[in-house]
Amino acid sequence: MEEKNRTKGPIRASNLDGHFRSEVLRHEEASGLNACFSCGACTAGCPIAEIFPEYSPRKLAKMVKLGMKIDVLSSPYIWYCVTCHNCEQHCPQNVKFFKILNVLKNMAAEQGYVPTPWVKQTQQIMKTGLIFSVDEVLVKKRQSFSLPTLKSDGKKVKKLIQLAGLDKIKPKKKTE
Amino acid sequence: MKKYALFLGCTTPTQVIQYELSSRWVCRYFGIELIDLEDFACCGINQINLSLEAGLLLGAMNLAHAESKGLDILTLCAACTGALAETAERLKDQTIRDRVNKRMQTIGLEYAGKTRVKHISRVLYEDVGVERIKKGIKRDLSRLLVAPHYGCHYLKPASAFDGFEDPDNPKTLHELISATGACPVQYERIHLCCGGKSFPVSKEPAFNLVQKKLDNVWNKKIDCMVVQCQTCYLMYSDQQKAINEQFKKKYKIPVLLYPQLLGLALGGDPKNDLGLDLNAVSLDERLVKKGKKRKS
Repeated sequence: MEEKNRTKGPIRASNLDGHFRSEVLRHEEASGLNACFSCGACTAGCPIAEIFPEYSPRKLAKMVKLGMKIDVLSSPYIWYCVTCHNCEQHCPQNVKFFKILNVLKNMAAEQGYVPTPWVKQTQQIMKTGLIFSVDEVLVKKRQSFSLPTLKSDGKKVKKLIQLAGLDKIKPKKKTE
Repeated sequence: MKKYALFLGCTTPTQVIQYELSSRWVCRYFGIELIDLEDFACCGINQINLSLEAGLLLGAMNLAHAESKGLDILTLCAACTGALAETAERLKDQTIRDRVNKRMQTIGLEYAGKTRVKHISRVLYEDVGVERIKKGIKRDLSRLLVAPHYGCHYLKPASAFDGFEDPDNPKTLHELISATGACPVQYERIHLCCGGKSFPVSKEPAFNLVQKKLDNVWNKKIDCMVVQCQTCYLMYSDQQKAINEQFKKKYKIPVLLYPQLLGLALGGDPKNDLGLDLNAVSLDERLVKKGKKRKS
């Protein structure tokens, strides 16, 4: 199958995308990629890599450089990152892997590899400006503690999200 | 004392109102004026997953709202702190700021780059100071052994916090806990993340991390955990039952938000001022109630 995760099998040159690396590097946030010398300090300090060896910042950086576009973008593990920033905190080359990962997730999302909860959250903030709805139970609970009324209006948020094109991102493909 | 725009974020005012309640009480106690801005919305931290640009714009919008009122921001959530501080850092770049401002014209906003972002614990540490906190202590918490949990975004990315803390060896929460009279305890893997940011997508990685942390705290027989972020709070407190079921454990660890602990020490009403009864696992009152006012 064309889009099958190939990380466990041999890499075939015909499946590599020679432009992937430059596509990623076009994003200013990913500019540190070239400085990475694959020492693995990022992976050693990553709490997720410790539990799921399938998620490895070091390996992902290498895969981008090799052009393993589909393997990287369709991987469900890129969404496991807990955003703890340990990877960049401990990098001897000052590579901001957290930012590179976000570029990869953005690219995956554009292609439709996107977990539904994040899409739903975007839809919610366009309505209320917050990632949660504000229902009557909450309104009363807040009133009982004399906390101010929450304004729930997502108009400005919606406008900005549309300008960034985030409203167009929909889950189309299943991450493997 | 300085005035701040209070940035509540999404989760605190909807899911963990005891954090908001106790923070407001503590700030009032020390004369820190908090201004509620109607226009604040989500900080954008989760949106960066799908669009870095959307995250940047949402952060900029919030910074611009505060700037238009001439205020710096006081945050409660560690993640909002990290996201907004990092956005402010990025917007120091004139080219990026120009691009963002051009886009924000459509909602009538402009950001000049003046807003500073400070977490409530940092405000308490820097603006109030541990010495002044110590002087206000009315309840004796000296029996209480506390496991501090900092929260990743309170410390990182370090570049966004102008050297306030050393992420590898943080000290402010330890000192703030000591100031209340309670005893901060070192435990294994104190820096471990709560996993909250991947929780909406997949429970498994987050639960693994939470279980490890709870286990380390439980094995050390510590009385409670103290956190400074509502997401960390939810992961360790509200998810504790689910963790017990999944991992066949019997953890019963109370988790307090720092302003609750501080408020308790300062003599606040546990229920009405600090919302302690809203916490999923309650604190053993014997550790506090027997306490008396300090003579000094």
